[in-house]
Amino acid sequence: MADSQDRKWGMVVDIDRCTGCNGCVVACQSENNIPNNLEEHFNQRRAIQWIRIERYWEGEYPNVKARFIPVMCQQCGNAPCEPVCPVYATYHNEEGLNVQVYNRCIGTRFCANGCPYHVRFFNFWEPEWPESLKNQLNPDVTVRSRGIMEKCSFCVQRIRRSTREGERDEVQVEDGDRALSPACVNACPTTALTFGDFNNDSSQVSMMKEEAMANRGKKEGRGYRLLDNLGTEANVIYLKKVDNSAGAVHGH
Amino acid sequence: MALNRRQFLTLMGGSAGAAVFFQACGIPEKELLIDSPIEMPEDLVTGIDNWYATSCRQCDTAEGIVVRVMEGRAKKIEGNVDYPINVGKHSPRCEAGVQGLYHPDRISSPLVRTGPRGSGEYREISWEDAIGRLTNELQNLEASGDQSQAVLVTNPIGGHLGLVADKFADVFGARRFTYEPLETSVVRKALSDVFGQNSMPDFDIDNSDYLLSFGADFLSTWASPTRYSRGYGEFRQGHDHRGKLVHIDSRFSTTAANADEWIRVNPGTEGLFALAVIQSIVSKGHISDSVVNALTGGDSGWLSTYSPENVSEEIGVTPETILHVGEDFSHSNHALAIGGGSAAAHSNGYASVKAIFSLNHVADNVGKKGGVILNPDSPIGGLEAAPSGNSFAEFQRLTEDMQSGTVKVLMVRGADLFYGLPDTSGFKGRSANVPMIVSFGGMMDDTTSMADLILPEHHYLEDWGTDIPLAGVGYELVGFQQPVVRPFFEDRGDNLGTKGFGDVLLALAQVMQMDLGLNADTFKEVIRESARELYALGRGSINAPTFEAFWNGVLQRGGWWDVNAKGPSSAEPDRLDGISSPVITGSGEFNLMPFASASLLDGRNASLPWMQAMPDPISTATWQTWVEMNHKVAEERGIKEGDVVTVSASGRSITALAMPNPATPPDAVSIPFGQGHRDGGRYSAGRGGNLMAILDAVHDETTGALAWAANKVSVTPTGEWVRVPKFENTVPDFPRDEHNHVIELTSEDTH
Amino acid sequence: MIPGDFQPQRPTSRQMVKLGVLGVVALGVFVAIVLGLTFHISAWLGQPVVFARSEGPDQPIAFPHTTHVQELGMDCTFCHRNVEKEAAASVPATGLCMTCHSAVGDDLDEIEKMRSLYEDGRSIHWVRVHRVPDHVHFVHEAHIRYFSEKDGIEPSQVCQTCHGDVKEMEKVKQVETLKMGDCVSCHKENSAPTDCATCHY
Repeated sequence: MADSQDRKWGMVVDIDRCTGCNGCVVACQSENNIPNNLEEHFNQRRAIQWIRIERYWEGEYPNVKARFIPVMCQQCGNAPCEPVCPVYATYHNEEGLNVQVYNRCIGTRFCANGCPYHVRFFNFWEPEWPESLKNQLNPDVTVRSRGIMEKCSFCVQRIRRSTREGERDEVQVEDGDRALSPACVNACPTTALTFGDFNNDSSQVSMMKEEAMANRGKKEGRGYRLLDNLGTEANVIYLKKVDNSAGAVHGH
Repeated sequence: MALNRRQFLTLMGGSAGAAVFFQACGIPEKELLIDSPIEMPEDLVTGIDNWYATSCRQCDTAEGIVVRVMEGRAKKIEGNVDYPINVGKHSPRCEAGVQGLYHPDRISSPLVRTGPRGSGEYREISWEDAIGRLTNELQNLEASGDQSQAVLVTNPIGGHLGLVADKFADVFGARRFTYEPLETSVVRKALSDVFGQNSMPDFDIDNSDYLLSFGADFLSTWASPTRYSRGYGEFRQGHDHRGKLVHIDSRFSTTAANADEWIRVNPGTEGLFALAVIQSIVSKGHISDSVVNALTGGDSGWLSTYSPENVSEEIGVTPETILHVGEDFSHSNHALAIGGGSAAAHSNGYASVKAIFSLNHVADNVGKKGGVILNPDSPIGGLEAAPSGNSFAEFQRLTEDMQSGTVKVLMVRGADLFYGLPDTSGFKGRSANVPMIVSFGGMMDDTTSMADLILPEHHYLEDWGTDIPLAGVGYELVGFQQPVVRPFFEDRGDNLGTKGFGDVLLALAQVMQMDLGLNADTFKEVIRESARELYALGRGSINAPTFEAFWNGVLQRGGWWDVNAKGPSSAEPDRLDGISSPVITGSGEFNLMPFASASLLDGRNASLPWMQAMPDPISTATWQTWVEMNHKVAEERGIKEGDVVTVSASGRSITALAMPNPATPPDAVSIPFGQGHRDGGRYSAGRGGNLMAILDAVHDETTGALAWAANKVSVTPTGEWVRVPKFENTVPDFPRDEHNHVIELTSEDTH
Repeated sequence: MIPGDFQPQRPTSRQMVKLGVLGVVALGVFVAIVLGLTFHISAWLGQPVVFARSEGPDQPIAFPHTTHVQELGMDCTFCHRNVEKEAAASVPATGLCMTCHSAVGDDLDEIEKMRSLYEDGRSIHWVRVHRVPDHVHFVHEAHIRYFSEKDGIEPSQVCQTCHGDVKEMEKVKQVETLKMGDCVSCHKENSAPTDCATCHY
């Protein structure tokens, strides 16, 4: 177990690859027992999507662009959601994950108010499935009940399972192993998402992060964090969209 | 003990309260039981997950998937890392397969109609009875020599299932139709003429550096989106040089959104654009004479009619735009052109698509890196990829036959004719003259709910199958589909529950003593016997000493392929013809630009809640039918988001929710296909509008396919307002100023 | 009477009503709190051990661990064969029972019961004795692996740490409370991770 504590999970999202197809969204619903988002749930703004694709418009017809950006829990190193929880139901663990403990949560929703990324979701209802659809539920993930918060966990159940099975079979679970990677990463058809261990210098995410962040703010470096000025120290690194018509403009 | 009323009420209240109160302390009874099954097969062992490889049937392209099975239940679908088409990735639609498998509204036994058609009144019967009833009808036709009055309509099916269905229809003498709502026949025919091949070639987007796409939403719904998306990722950031994507389309689609440049053209002029590009390149002499001769038939004079200057006005762009594209295209090392979708859905569709794909001959990229990779023939004789559907014109003739009473038995599988055929075909009314409609649907849809007899088929995760890909990967590939779970309705016994379509056809043939020439009693055996042919080839991805080991290997890896068995490396260009102006019907002020929904496609996935809840990439709307229109036009007309509007085309209309956006051209509106099912389970029935139904009967001149993008419509507000179900908020997502982008951008063209 | 001396005023009848209402409300609140506490305590303690099942529950078939383990010396992992591999220890299939009992134990009622279930193709619905809630992901495999390696003992000797001396039990009962406190103290003793996300996700 010792080596598993030295890991620090992170993700790199290449927006230049993302097509906004929503493959990650459906994969996440399937893996994490997220209740079916019915029409009324959307209308009440109470739909749950641990990962979502945000679509932004720039310009107007005919010079119009749509931009896509996948947003999931940023697993902040300095998370605004954590200090506000009165019952320590959300905290930072040694693997860099911002953990939501369902059985501790009492549903104050302070954390959702604190989160600048809007990635925390409250269960306003007891989740319901028709009897037969329950056959699909993933036994590795808790079915959340009414009155508690939930959010992207970087598919911690996959991390746990693959690590344990690796220890059992005495094999090292490599970064990029599909049993370890979150469901969204495995699904993404354009490989816009990369997941791995930031503490392992030879992992793909580490190298991507280093390359992306080395020249931050300069032309060569495409890396940035969402709402970085808030000091959240997010563990999700975004790579800027390349747009030849964007001229010399790049961010702040 | 005597109680007065007051005491009685007090006690009742108290005990009811206590009952409610202490109920909470209990644990549901079922959680306190553990089952000890009779035998424990490997996949039933508690807590162990097995991943089985099979093929996905959510879209036209059968992607290789692996299904996580725990305790005999399918839990999760992921891409099969070995499978050449999708290499571990999958489309957003694949994962919802498990919801189809466990859908609460699946039909669990054969049904016979007891009420009037469409009333939904059915009675369960046994399979023996059901097959008896159908064979009875068929034998009556046989006795009178009218076998051709039986019609078998399926969705496009290839592989062994297609083979069995074709043989069944052929040996019996029934008429065989293939139905697809958004026809691929135009693209398929154009491709076969341009590249001399029946199957679709592979497009090496990965290594292309200049990709010109026309109308085809290849990143979302067109042909093999996962394969193309995989290529797109590499095209963007996989090399030192970032590729450039130029999308020419009358609608702002997902592909347009991801393009470096979206060139909006008038509907139906995509082909003209392509021809003008060819003309500009030919006139500059950036092309070999032999190709010019082949493309123009020796005399390139006629091509000048289509010079950028001559056609730019009709297309709706400046001549410079066309010349600029021509320059870039001819000067790129690995230029590639693909097209289809709405470009093919016009009266000039065939000629347009042909011109578009001929650009690849101009770029001389056939069989080359970053170009068009041709596919070899199927490694198993007689086994083909799914054919393209019969054209709309042929279906119109079928409805005329129905009218005249020469269709006695209509057998339908996977083809929702009542939903998908436009009202102008008169299919719904004329179906009353068909004495017997038989559906093989495993769930109610608009057609199955009109059937007299329902023989429910397995879900694809419970059934066998094979697949020769519609759009292959440039080498021989056979996908294998195996049951990953036992049939869900297995416990209803042999005589109830569901059965595979292939097995039912074989059973029908057996009862009627027809010889299909397949030497097998079950569909699985049919596939297994064929696999022996693959084994006998002695090459490919599975190397095994015995056939048994080979068979296991094929099922384990989800298919068989041979990377060395490639297709031809070149193709002769076919002569191009001029392109006529598109026929646009209707008197409305907007061009209607329909599109396949990213999740529901043509409506086939509408029953699945994950698909309904998946936001559309462009509008982000869910669960509804919406109309995309230009936000300024909407403002002028006082239409705001969520206003219920009536969209009418030539007298037929649907209602939908207005969704103004800044990307829709002012002269156009866009509506997705996929909603408006009368039946189809609790998640889709009666939801949204069926756009398919209101389309005019415009045909592609060459193939007779339905030109579904050739309508003009009017849009009238009804005065009602409904909140559009979507995840995002209602604040418009415009950047605050021109230099402050909402997501961060770089102009740097580096890796 | 000294001026300024505090003289409680006699409450008006209006105030009396108010006070009365307040009193009733306060009583109601008190009762609610008591009931709430009862609810929480009973929910928290509502496990077999505390509610005084000195014996384990009756099972559909009175399977005696005493006979099988104590007398015949069978290993735990012979029947609970998943325990060294996966999260769940798993109860055996009836088919496994029948490997012996198709020949052994002809005149015993319980065995006849089991055989008839087997022949009818019906499963046995055992009453669950040990159960952790849905939000706890307990993994047998990791615990067996750790303890058998650490103490150099057979996997089947690890079981009793939590399950008690099952081989002595005619009816299996729960001996440890299996509350989170038990888990955490043991994890601390063995310097196993006490990160919440070790078990809760």
